[in-house]
Amino acid sequence: MIQIQNLKKSFRTEEVETLALNKVNLSVEEGEFAAIMGPSGCGKSTLLNIIGMLDNPTEGSYKFAGHEVGGLKERQRTELRKGNLGFVFQSFNLIDELTVFENVELPLIYLKENKSSRKEKVMKVLERMKIAHRAKHFPHQLSGGQQQRVAIARAVVTNPKLILADEPTGNLDSKNGLEVMNLLTELNQEGTTIVMVTHSDHDSHFAHRIINLFDGQIVTESKNRAIGAII
Amino acid sequence: MFKNYLKIAWRSLKKQPFFTFLNTFGLAMGMAGGLLISLYIYDELSFDTMFPDAERIHRVNVDIKFGGDAHEYAVAPAPMGEALKNDFSEVEMVTRFRTQGSALVRKTDAETNTKEERTTFVDANFFEMFGIQMLEGDPQTALKEPNTLILTKSAAKKHFGKGSAVGKRVLLDNENTFTVTGVIDDFPKNSFLREYTLLKSMETYDDAKVVNWGSNNYHTFIKLIPSANVEDLQEPLQGFLGKYVVPGVQKFMPGITEEQFKAAGNHLIYSTIPLTDIHLHSHRVAEMNSNNDVQSIYILMFIAIFLIVLASVNFMNLSTAHSLKRAKEVGVRKTLGSNKTDLVRQFLVESGLISFLSMALALLLAILALPLFNTLADKDISIPFTDAFFWLILLGSVIVLGLFSGSYPAFFMSRFVPVKVLKGSGDNGIGGAKIRNALVVFQFAISIFLIVSTLVVYQQLKYIQGKELGYSKDQVLIINDVYTAGNKVGSLKEQIKQLAFVKNATVSSYLPTPSSRSNSTFNPEGELANPDYSVSMQEWEVDYDYAKTMDFEFVAGRDFDRNFGNDSSAIIVNQTAVKTMGFSPEEALGKRYAYKDNPESPTFYEIIGVVKDFHFDSLKEEIDALSIHLGDNNYAMAIKLKAGDFTNAISSIEAIWDNVVPGQPFDYYFMEDSFNDTYQSEQRLGNIFIIFTVLSLLIACLGLFGLAAFNAQKRIKEIGVRKVLGASVSQISVRLTLDFLKLVGVAILISLPLGWYAMDLWLKDFSYRIDVPLWVLGMAAFVGIAVAVVTVSYQSIKAAIVNPVKSLRTE
Repeated sequence: MIQIQNLKKSFRTEEVETLALNKVNLSVEEGEFAAIMGPSGCGKSTLLNIIGMLDNPTEGSYKFAGHEVGGLKERQRTELRKGNLGFVFQSFNLIDELTVFENVELPLIYLKENKSSRKEKVMKVLERMKIAHRAKHFPHQLSGGQQQRVAIARAVVTNPKLILADEPTGNLDSKNGLEVMNLLTELNQEGTTIVMVTHSDHDSHFAHRIINLFDGQIVTESKNRAIGAII
Repeated sequence: MFKNYLKIAWRSLKKQPFFTFLNTFGLAMGMAGGLLISLYIYDELSFDTMFPDAERIHRVNVDIKFGGDAHEYAVAPAPMGEALKNDFSEVEMVTRFRTQGSALVRKTDAETNTKEERTTFVDANFFEMFGIQMLEGDPQTALKEPNTLILTKSAAKKHFGKGSAVGKRVLLDNENTFTVTGVIDDFPKNSFLREYTLLKSMETYDDAKVVNWGSNNYHTFIKLIPSANVEDLQEPLQGFLGKYVVPGVQKFMPGITEEQFKAAGNHLIYSTIPLTDIHLHSHRVAEMNSNNDVQSIYILMFIAIFLIVLASVNFMNLSTAHSLKRAKEVGVRKTLGSNKTDLVRQFLVESGLISFLSMALALLLAILALPLFNTLADKDISIPFTDAFFWLILLGSVIVLGLFSGSYPAFFMSRFVPVKVLKGSGDNGIGGAKIRNALVVFQFAISIFLIVSTLVVYQQLKYIQGKELGYSKDQVLIINDVYTAGNKVGSLKEQIKQLAFVKNATVSSYLPTPSSRSNSTFNPEGELANPDYSVSMQEWEVDYDYAKTMDFEFVAGRDFDRNFGNDSSAIIVNQTAVKTMGFSPEEALGKRYAYKDNPESPTFYEIIGVVKDFHFDSLKEEIDALSIHLGDNNYAMAIKLKAGDFTNAISSIEAIWDNVVPGQPFDYYFMEDSFNDTYQSEQRLGNIFIIFTVLSLLIACLGLFGLAAFNAQKRIKEIGVRKVLGASVSQISVRLTLDFLKLVGVAILISLPLGWYAMDLWLKDFSYRIDVPLWVLGMAAFVGIAVAVVTVSYQSIKAAIVNPVKSLRTE
């Protein structure tokens, strides 16, 4: 599903050029659950942003489902993102002015789905995330764990091929964090590919594969044998 | 999608009440100001458009230069109307007015007079010319006969109550009996006939039938046939000089030809002006009503545009500043698949919503401010709620303003990069500080410019009102309609002079305050027929006490004196007159001058005194040549009072009046008030400037307040770090405030030279004017700075006193 070859990303300020990613080669298969780990500033989030088509690489190739997306314009990236990718952020990033229902409905609106289909899909996913009873609430009325469940609901409502999770449990206590990881595992088991950036060893054990980044380069990759061992 | 936009817009506004208030209120103030000015301008532009065929009606103007004196008249000779109809097939109809000022009116069986302030003779075809419908009476016959008149509805009600006025007889000025033959509606406030309440048949006025091309007294209106072009008339009109005027001049200048007339530097130019242009474009001698200047419309238009742009700029500034709080939303939306266009649309819907709310608030503000505005602008404007067109324009403005104000913030916000804004740290990738700063500079530059303008207008008014005029206008009480005392005028004056608090009193129609007067041409003895020696002077008839009452200063010769038997043929002139004659004041004494219009038996007047020039016209004008001679012109009495209790003085004078002239209204005013009325349009301009200066400052303050709040919020970490490192509250507040003062400084540098230049240009209209005082510029700069400091320091201090532990935790 994801094929990355010799990918480079550099940031240039007036005098200094910082290399955030350096010759990264990575492939993620359909149905895989990959965790990207590494210390702060190693390039994890940059890599996730490029995979999520929020950013373009400076050099190298990135193929998503067989399409080269490395040099696409913003508009084209937006089109490709819609329906194919779901995002889960550390800080949830729900829109404060919209209710739970409306937040989850938003990606479907951008996909121009009709109202009844939207309602059906949103309610289904909310029920699945066990948050349907909070559909009319606003994000600030929910706990952190509930907010992240809404964020996951929003990420999966379009039935995307790939979910990108950036420290999904970073702002949660261990109980809520576990709940979120279980949800992601469930989704993966149903066939959704997941790429997750995390600091947490605990969380990384939910993944099939752990990719370690250091100074913008992949230093190790290891298969995780004991999937779900800590559940 | 639209519903989603609207929903999120509404919720986002509700969630940020402070920001919504600043934005809505700021925009509403600008809109309310713009709305009021637009209604004012609409009213001014609508003058005289209500008459059917208004576009085919024109007035004849005459420019005359004769005897060294040039005047532009709104009036034409009596025979002009007939000549136009005979000579031009394009002219369908001609109607003349001969205005008469006020008249005392009473029913023939009544004792007491009531005054009608504005009356006129008018030709019988007046109804057809202006499409006037009659409420009572027959337009075909109403003004056909001599001694008939028509009244407006309110005048008829005043004199006859609820009963019918038609067929009733009234006495005008205690002398002439007229029959009321019709009643018409009151003239609209925006017509040249407003305030005219009594129209007499021209048939009554014998002078109207006399073929005299030398005297211009008739407002002459022509209606052209639909296919005619008024430009085609202008050239042939000039032929009237040779055809009609010169033969008349030859009576007192035998043998003079058109060429000689012109060669002596004289001219006589006829022209026409469209009826609908009169109100804003005509400023001639003897206008039928006070007109406005189109320049003031332009100034107001600029102010309206300024205000609305100011308010929009405010909106842009606050919205982009506020976008810090919206950044996450933009990032999320983009991540979820929204493209730029979607976001631009969303933010435009939001600005449209604010624009809509603001317009609703603006309407409310306008309704509240309308009475004050009407008083200050001397108008009677109402908001046309029932006019569908008005609502359409309003809706259009909401959309245009929403799009205009929302455009920059929308494009600005839609450019946010999700990767940056979703991190939730640093500056969130929100730039635009330079543009926001430029907008603040722009707002303050306009406000300071308006402060300069307001101060200069008021200084000039103060200068005019306090200027040494060359006569004493203070404590002078004027009584009108003194002629109604008939042969008791002398006794009335003597009794009033006896009162302890009266210094002096004089009877004359001519007062040294601005009014419409005409000039007469004089020639010296021995050069009666020589136009090179002609001197055009104002000619006032006064009594022996005139110069004493007005406190004139003599530079040569003496005042009129009863002890000199032959003062009836003496004149006193002013310095300008002797300068025009080519003499020094002393040389002028004893020189004899006669009127031109009586060449067979000229009456010579001998110059016995020269008075220092005094301002009897607006200070916009240069002082004209003037001659004063004795006469029994007795329209008004001017009474110079000693300082003291005027109320008591007025009631004592009224008691004498009632005794001598029972049944006549006691109509009085102070000369100073009449003088001040001359500068009404400047006063109005000053008032309007004040309102809109305050409004623009308020809008600028709202913007600055919001921006300061944003700035403090944005720098909260910096403030915390500074405090941890030992900065005091005052150091931090000064630092935050100074950032904004730099912007105000730039605004001052831009606006002061512009303000100085614009006001110097405005002052050029006045013959007697101030120079823009430096302190005005200093004051404007000071006010700008003071307002900015007060506005910003609240936010700065608030930010500076926050506990650093709290502010650092927000990161």
